[in-house]
Amino acid sequence: MSDQQATNGKDYDPVGAFREMRDNYLDAWAKTMVEAVNTDAYAKATGMLLDTYLSASSPFREAVEKAMLQTLQQLSMPSRADFVSLAERVTHIEMKLDDLDAGLERIEKLLAKPIIVNAATAAPAKRSKKKGAK
Amino acid sequence: MEPATAVVNELAGLPAKLGEFTQVVKARVPIAQTPKELVWTLNKAKLWRYVPVLPAEKRHSVPLIMVFAIMNRPYILDLRPGHSFVEFMLQKGYDLYLLDWGEPGPEDTNLKFDDYVLDYMTRAIRKMKSVSGSEEFSMLGWCIGAILATAYAALRPDDGLKNLILLTAPLDFTDRKGITFAHWVDERFFDVDKVLDAFGNMPGELIDYGAKALKPVENYVLNYLKLWDNFDNPQVVEAWQAMNTWVTDNIPLAGGAFRQLIVDLYRQNRLIHNQWLLRGELVYLKNIRANLLTVIAEGDHITPPCQSRSIMNLVSSTDKELFDIPGGHIGIMAGSAAHRSTWPHIEGWLDPRSK
Repeated sequence: MSDQQATNGKDYDPVGAFREMRDNYLDAWAKTMVEAVNTDAYAKATGMLLDTYLSASSPFREAVEKAMLQTLQQLSMPSRADFVSLAERVTHIEMKLDDLDAGLERIEKLLAKPIIVNAATAAPAKRSKKKGAK
Repeated sequence: MEPATAVVNELAGLPAKLGEFTQVVKARVPIAQTPKELVWTLNKAKLWRYVPVLPAEKRHSVPLIMVFAIMNRPYILDLRPGHSFVEFMLQKGYDLYLLDWGEPGPEDTNLKFDDYVLDYMTRAIRKMKSVSGSEEFSMLGWCIGAILATAYAALRPDDGLKNLILLTAPLDFTDRKGITFAHWVDERFFDVDKVLDAFGNMPGELIDYGAKALKPVENYVLNYLKLWDNFDNPQVVEAWQAMNTWVTDNIPLAGGAFRQLIVDLYRQNRLIHNQWLLRGELVYLKNIRANLLTVIAEGDHITPPCQSRSIMNLVSSTDKELFDIPGGHIGIMAGSAAHRSTWPHIEGWLDPRSK
């Protein structure tokens, strides 16, 4: 074995055979599982599991929310709903400010542009003034 | 060394290796290190501009904005130095922007695709145009980000969008047998309203479970075995840790958008049938005139190739290309071969169209 190692230039892998067997097994398992999860039966099972969890936890969740709300009211403190409403209003204000900012930028750019006097439109104006003077 | 001795040595070193292995798996490594500046914010959303690495005269005049999914962190595009799409594109002279959606909180449960496209994207793009000084721009949308990019391109076709790149875009839900997620969220098995009543937003952990359960053995077993088998290879360990840091950094999906994704798209397939209304405006795919590159990952279980092909025949774009590439949903952009395959192809397509 040692001679063979020296010839191949590789270290002996003590678990090489096991690893190969493991990889073959896992590859087969992986393919089977990909097919298994893509079935109605799997979808139904996971759906039921999730539904059961949600149904079971719902009364506790509602009780905790109710108790929390009452406590906050007694302490004259804002609830989650109050904060949510406030946050939505802040976002709307942010959007208005963003639009204002963009509008100002546009005006600044327009003002920064050099004003070009159009000779064709300027000339008749001059002539009409002369006519008026006569 | 005799086989028996080698096996004994291997077993003797096992406890120490196991300890180190656990530490490596738990470790969070620095990612998204390319310098960038914040140019715009709205609620949780941020628009970042990456600091250019080439002088202005060597850069492309048309900026590129990247729009990633709303339920994952976007730094997968800038995973780690030496292996970053962002870094690659900066070196090629692009003026690069990233729209980071941030993490929705309880106050964002009503956020819908309507808001993301018509309130957030329009404003972010307006800002990008102002900062870059260019009225034309390119947009890259990946995964759900590709849905957003498609909707934007259809609703605002005259807004200067020159080039549209869609990566693994879940747009067509016709082939329900070929889309595992479509099975799972079928109305017979999945009560979307009950889930959202309980959680408000769709929890990141559930989304993560869903993505991993598509290929359970690969994600829960083989992924860790790959690290175990290559534990002596620092390059593999570094790459694994960076990817694991991203994979385990989950964020929720805003409730309103999740409901639309399930009902409007997975169940009713409204987008591809030109029946999807966002705030009363029809997302009519024929309105899309921008040059189009659609990238499909052949081994994608999250967005199977059948979901991204049909868009090619439904747009008005005359300059369009469908690019199939071997790999998975994330692997085509963040895998070890991405810098040799996907990135150069995207850049090669975009380069002549960014003048």
